[in-house]
Amino acid sequence: MPGALPAPVVGRPALGRWVFLLVPLLVLPVPFFVNRYIQYVLNLILVYVLVGVGFNIVIGNLGQLAFANVALFGLGAYASGILVVHAGWPWWTTVIPAGLVGALAGALASLPALRRIRLFYLAIMTMAFGELMRWIYIRAEPLTNGSMGLAVPPPVLLGVRLSSDRSKFYVFLALAVLAVVLTSSLLRSRFGRAFMAIRDNELAAAAVGIPTDRYFILAFAWSGFVVGVGGAMYTALVGHVTPEAFNLLELILHFAVVMVGGLASLAGSVIGAVVLTTTPELFRGFPGVQELVLALLIVGVLLFLPRGLVSLLSLRLPLFRERYYRE
Amino acid sequence: MLPQLVVSGLAQGVLYALVALSMTMVYRATTVVNFGHGDLVMGGAFVVYVLVVYAHLPYLLGGLLALTILFALGVGIHQGLMRRIMTGPHLAIAMMALAVGYGLRGGARVLWGREVLPFPRIFPDHAWMLGDVVVTSDNLIVSGTVLGLMAVLFVLFNVTRTGRLLQAVFQSQRGAALVGLNVDAVHRVMWGVGAALAALGGVLLAPITLLYPDMGVWVLVRGFAAMTLGGFGTLHGAVLGGLILGVVELVLGAYVSTAFIDISAYVVVIAVLLLRPDGLFGQQVVVRV
Repeated sequence: MPGALPAPVVGRPALGRWVFLLVPLLVLPVPFFVNRYIQYVLNLILVYVLVGVGFNIVIGNLGQLAFANVALFGLGAYASGILVVHAGWPWWTTVIPAGLVGALAGALASLPALRRIRLFYLAIMTMAFGELMRWIYIRAEPLTNGSMGLAVPPPVLLGVRLSSDRSKFYVFLALAVLAVVLTSSLLRSRFGRAFMAIRDNELAAAAVGIPTDRYFILAFAWSGFVVGVGGAMYTALVGHVTPEAFNLLELILHFAVVMVGGLASLAGSVIGAVVLTTTPELFRGFPGVQELVLALLIVGVLLFLPRGLVSLLSLRLPLFRERYYRE
Repeated sequence: MLPQLVVSGLAQGVLYALVALSMTMVYRATTVVNFGHGDLVMGGAFVVYVLVVYAHLPYLLGGLLALTILFALGVGIHQGLMRRIMTGPHLAIAMMALAVGYGLRGGARVLWGREVLPFPRIFPDHAWMLGDVVVTSDNLIVSGTVLGLMAVLFVLFNVTRTGRLLQAVFQSQRGAALVGLNVDAVHRVMWGVGAALAALGGVLLAPITLLYPDMGVWVLVRGFAAMTLGGFGTLHGAVLGGLILGVVELVLGAYVSTAFIDISAYVVVIAVLLLRPDGLFGQQVVVRV
């Protein structure tokens, strides 16, 4: 019932839509100027763009404390890896199935919410789900090769082997742009407005006739889809999927991408992905420092910049001003 | 075999009960669910390790010092971080607790790397046979300490004036503030007490398990499972939930599959919240929409 919703938010200024194309166009030539390591980090950033965009839908837009994101990421990565290794599918055909597995798991993670379990209860439950999944990756040895990890051959796209990180970059860039554009459309539609109505006041949202249950499932499933595709990209990038990649350090990284970038902001997710993929890379090889730095970043953002780094930009540039989030 | 499993399970369960009880006390007083609580347990264990192994203090003194240090840390977390965002959204509060926990874990890892630290044997090495059941001195010391503490807390809560003030804050923070109680002071003290009780868990765990920076997660999940099972937010529920969880882990582990020793806590959380969100002894927790 779109008519029952609050007055629709007007679209972004014309320039806003162009950003989706402008930024990717600007980064197109970048791979020709960087070395292999930086190229790898750039690819990793694109993976985390999907992780952040997907996660932000649930915690930023729908406003739910769900901790299952790492499980969705891992399921996407394993789904892609298992299809490539055991079923012999070319990598590009596993992207959509990985997304669907993520979506299914996301919908599953929303089930407790349908039982009216919210806030901390939902957080605890989804956290248990995530840890249970990690245990399953280790135990399901015939499929996942246990704690040794699953070695996945280089991805194949339409018959072409993407063995270099540069060729992966363009595929990842296309997927990232697609994910951002589609999510932006979803969030500006009546679905997205319903998500935010639920976040701001669930009772009121239900009272004006928004079928909150359905929107819960939709938000979690779309979030799972995006994150699952991110998982498939991760598999293609690192070529070796291990249970340890989806541990609790990964969880705080996902949280940090969303919180430091900016809650409920697509631009924020992208900024968060850039900042938080590069920062831990700087501290690789110093055990514990990564966790410490991520924790300090989150504490700092919570105390001094509750809307994330993107709020620094939006002060100057109206383009980044978030229309869907009010304090 | 079953009586032995029950006794060993209860001995394990008192630790879960202690963790769940301290989390519940912080939760009831401040409405904050501390996602970093397990890391406070880890913190207590590491502090006592440093004091006993490096500084050569006696275990009892080291333990008391660890409790004091963690009390100060808990008060510090409240004063420096939590208090400033208490009026904010739940998400920010949960994130803050989580980030503090990760900070502690990162700090422990910076200092100790990825090593697993063995603690010297402190408790006497005795075992008694009661029929077929073996009871070790570890069992008795840990259970005795925790049960004794719980008895003290029970008296504090139900008999003394301070206890009644606390109960007032547990029931309604606004109401307590309206009748002139210093709610902020209660929050401060409860964060300290919560952290000190977490540290006690760590101090008791240290001699009977291995120490590693990620042990907090293991503790946190079991604390949550105990709280959920007993009924989230009830004090007696947390204690009973912990004891039941300890027994369930071992009994399922022995009769069904050893996997249940690892996954019982996760399965309990998911099953209880899906099937009976109020837990065994809880009040209604669901949000009516």
